[in-house]
Amino acid sequence: MQAISFSFNYQNIIAGEGFQLAFAGMTIVFTALVLVSIFIALLPKVLVVLNRLIPEVHHHTAAPKQRETSDETAIAAAIGFALHTQQQPR
Amino acid sequence: MHILVDFLATTAVANMTIGNLLMLVVGMIFISLAIRKDYEPLLLVPIGFGCIVGNIPSIASMAVGVYDQGSVLSYIYFGVSQGIFPPLIFLGIGAMTDFSTMLSSPRLVLLGAAAQMGIFLTLIGALYLGFSPAEAGAIGIIGGADGPTAIFLAAKLAPHLLGAIAIAAYSYMALVPVIQPPIMKLLTTRKERLIRMKPPREVSQREKIIFPIVAFLICALIAPASVGLIGMLFFGNLLKESTVTERLANTARTALIDIVTILLGFSVGCSTQAQTFLTPESILIFGLGALSFAVATACGVLFAKFMNLFSKNKINPLVGAAGVSAVPDSARVVQMIGQQEDPNNYLLMHAMAPNVAGVIGSAVGAGILWSVLVG
Repeated sequence: MQAISFSFNYQNIIAGEGFQLAFAGMTIVFTALVLVSIFIALLPKVLVVLNRLIPEVHHHTAAPKQRETSDETAIAAAIGFALHTQQQPR
Repeated sequence: MHILVDFLATTAVANMTIGNLLMLVVGMIFISLAIRKDYEPLLLVPIGFGCIVGNIPSIASMAVGVYDQGSVLSYIYFGVSQGIFPPLIFLGIGAMTDFSTMLSSPRLVLLGAAAQMGIFLTLIGALYLGFSPAEAGAIGIIGGADGPTAIFLAAKLAPHLLGAIAIAAYSYMALVPVIQPPIMKLLTTRKERLIRMKPPREVSQREKIIFPIVAFLICALIAPASVGLIGMLFFGNLLKESTVTERLANTARTALIDIVTILLGFSVGCSTQAQTFLTPESILIFGLGALSFAVATACGVLFAKFMNLFSKNKINPLVGAAGVSAVPDSARVVQMIGQQEDPNNYLLMHAMAPNVAGVIGSAVGAGILWSVLVG
């Protein structure tokens, strides 16, 4: 492990160009994410045109979407509803 | 008889130092926090046990520890020291992440950028304390609140500080529910915490497919050094969203990320040998790490308030705290604090937008620091 000699000093920041580095770093991060943000905002508009030029295709290689509910859940819901209806005062 | 005496002299008991004992206790505390408090158990259990394993003193002539060339542990640690594991973790994160909320609220992406202020202010702090620019950059990335990114950058810029930086980053990620709430409450009024945001719109599958490709190009063209992390993140996401590679996406988000997490956590834990870990630098790194988390949280919240000055649809400023990229813990904290004021206010989905934007922002930040400070 390298030995680090500590000298708490404001001059260290100046010597290491800390402020310039921080400013440049934040500017670049913001630029990247602002561009991503602009792209996301424009995407729905781009897609309106794109969908007209290249319509979406549904092909068989895509894995079928998982069903949200299983048959068991539906059956249980039907039984529950039937029981509830039966127990209602006539 | 002398064989027995010689053997006894080589036992771990005979070579144990106070530092090793202390680190054994630290390892046990990590495991205890994970099991009892449920703080990041998937990370703290491997790190904690690795910490215990790494602090069993070995014989000088035998290659056992992570720093001993040719030892089994050194081969596992190779993935950490060469920055191999973090991009693989990013692949899994990408395959898990749903960018829908971000795609439905593009302005919230800016909160993910604002929270990266923690990285660069901590860098200034580390420089002030006397760390070299490369070391300061590696320490600053703890403010990105992203363990794999911190490991990746530390391995590139300051490998000798990797153990301390990794442990600090993961410890503070585990402590997000402790560190963030007081700052969030301090910087917001009750009225602000009660703000309800518009529900996110539905996002088409085509948007989800195009997004990772174009977002990667934007980030990579600006900060090419971040390609390793950003590329894997968006590649993983494309596997998920393309719908034709479900098997690959499933492997990336389950088996692959689990295997890499085990190896990364365990070997990082093993690297915390008292002789290399218990140093004044480590204490400073832990102090700076806490500061960077606090600054990142504060910057996110304050930037949300700043955006509200110009916005018709107000943002709940709590959401800004999720700009630190501790996914999904900081988003969960936002939800928790929001519901303390109004149990029917659901901020989780909104908070996920800056949360995943923070992942991108911290990876870009790491790329910038690497390209500027290397060599």
